[in-house]
Amino acid sequence: MAENSGTDPAVETNTEENAAASATIIKVTVKTPKDKEEIAIAEDSSVSQFKEEISKRFKAKQDQLVLIFAGKILKDGDTLGQHGIKDGLTVHLVIKTAQKSSSGSSQTSASSGPGPSQGNTAGTANPSPAGNLGTPQGSGPSPTPTQPPNILAGFGDLSGLSNLGMGSANFMELQQQMQRQLMSNPEMLSQIMENPLVQSMMSNPDLMRQMIVANPQMQQLMERNPEISHMLNNPELMRQTMELARNPAMMQEMMRNQDRALSNLESIPGGYNALRRMYTDIQEPMFSAAREQFGNNPFSALGGNTDNSGVQPSRTENREPLPNPWGPPDASAATTTTASGTATTTSSTTSSTTPSVSNPLGISSSSLGNGMFNSPGMQSLMQQISENPQLMQNMLSAPYMRTMMQSLSQNPDINPPPSGPAPAPAPTPTPAAGTNTAQQQLMQQMLQMFAGGNALTQTPEVRFQQQLEQLSAMGFINREANLQALIATGGDINAAIERLLGSQPS
Amino acid sequence: MEQHDSTFGVQLFIYDLSRGMARQLSPIMLGKQLDGIWHTSIVVYGEEFFYGGAGISSCPPGGTMLGPPDTVVQLGNTEVTEEIFMDYLSSLGETTYSGDKYRLFEHNCNTFTNEVAQFLTGNKIPSYITDLPSEVLSTPFGQVLRPILDSIHIAPPGRNVISSQNNHS
Repeated sequence: MAENSGTDPAVETNTEENAAASATIIKVTVKTPKDKEEIAIAEDSSVSQFKEEISKRFKAKQDQLVLIFAGKILKDGDTLGQHGIKDGLTVHLVIKTAQKSSSGSSQTSASSGPGPSQGNTAGTANPSPAGNLGTPQGSGPSPTPTQPPNILAGFGDLSGLSNLGMGSANFMELQQQMQRQLMSNPEMLSQIMENPLVQSMMSNPDLMRQMIVANPQMQQLMERNPEISHMLNNPELMRQTMELARNPAMMQEMMRNQDRALSNLESIPGGYNALRRMYTDIQEPMFSAAREQFGNNPFSALGGNTDNSGVQPSRTENREPLPNPWGPPDASAATTTTASGTATTTSSTTSSTTPSVSNPLGISSSSLGNGMFNSPGMQSLMQQISENPQLMQNMLSAPYMRTMMQSLSQNPDINPPPSGPAPAPAPTPTPAAGTNTAQQQLMQQMLQMFAGGNALTQTPEVRFQQQLEQLSAMGFINREANLQALIATGGDINAAIERLLGSQPS
Repeated sequence: MEQHDSTFGVQLFIYDLSRGMARQLSPIMLGKQLDGIWHTSIVVYGEEFFYGGAGISSCPPGGTMLGPPDTVVQLGNTEVTEEIFMDYLSSLGETTYSGDKYRLFEHNCNTFTNEVAQFLTGNKIPSYITDLPSEVLSTPFGQVLRPILDSIHIAPPGRNVISSQNNHS
């Protein structure tokens, strides 16, 4: 109890604290970058007393401590109450290293030797960075401080586009501009189409169909017009359509033929009415569905018009005996999950071309890759890709990427069961269960496509393994011919069989 | 009370990574309206600081590939000097905010910005930003996309990485 000399101050502090019992002890959390501790202190303590406690707990010298609360630095002479520090609040702490660099950089700490700050989680006696931050050391030679904001300026052709892109905040305008650019530069279109990624996407009929079907508006359409679902379900048709979409020249040819056929139809008595009827029944809902996706953007018509100039007139005659409308879906999803990580959004792009007879879904091949271009990250990525198709393949076939994709596509766990893996979002799964499954499948397909469709690098044999087996089980023993047929039909077994039968296998 | 130093203004730069596409497409894809995919950074002492797949980085304000921010929020003022701040950042970068700790959903640029904002000013960043991951994850599509997105690290080029031996400029 009573020791002599030390009593007084001790008693004093005791009484102070006892008196402070009325002022209470508060628990303040002290947070360092690495750590946090709760410290009990009297409410009316001064900052220096607080620091005393802290230095004990964190094993640092008092003058190394810098306390920050609400943006203010707590000075020794202040009290906690002055700053409004109450029970349960958090105060930030930075423990200064010995260095006295005035330039504000932690440069000099490097000279303070590689004090192993790794094992310093508790205590943080020397949190000053000595080791690396686990990141590439700042040899930032290229990003100079005087970097122009528009980095794409150096990229040549697309710089103009990027300026447009970055200047405009309006999505619609962007699209419109993109289309104009694309149309004024036909090479770009063919570049896009030649892009192996786009091509591989188009060569997978199932995927296309899934994507179309997954679109809620399409689903609505399909309910109203069963013919549409027929169209989609006919693999032959889909395949043809996709071939056409892939090949712009073929597309034009087709369109011309159709126009001619249509004008012939018109001349048949009663034919015109039939045409008109068909238009109102089928085409219009599709148009509006396609347009809806863009919030009825009037500009889409503008953009689409010039693109389908060859087809415009046919709109009035319209009608199209369903065969060979443009299958390629609205949602040509460019789920290019950018491995380079420049963009997070997996965006499904939709074309905004005015739907027309031979192009009922309003696909403008020029806008197939459209949405992808809208973020500068994507722009530069696409630029690089179109310049160097190999790059894309390399990117996708990077071992890490591949394995990830493959494991993703094979892993059934990825697709959340209807009940949803996350316990939290319970309400949504049920109503969305339908879409959910569709989406899951869609995702799976896409993943498979990515995984296996840098199977452009894989041999066809590997790709068509399953189909080959089926064919040989059916009795087509000529593996070579089977393979050829499969390649030609893109893996479609039925079509392959037709081919084989047609060519009289030995 | 005597002021230690002059105070420094602290700003929050907000970028929409989707450039408007999220606003357009989110109702279709996710079933709910998201106005953007937000990336944020703290601007103080005439520099922009942010966290990405490469760790904590800095650059001149608006100097990343993303260009100028979509929104700027004034977070307040701070007495913290640049020296102390750099110490603080270095510590952070060694521990909780090293590059490999980046997680698109749980521990991303906005997590960092939020923490730094509180350190500097005591204020948090607007909640619509920090709520974004959970908003996305609460949709079925978000859940499906999650494994892919988890592997994506946002690292806007055009920056210097802050490290102990770096003379960040």
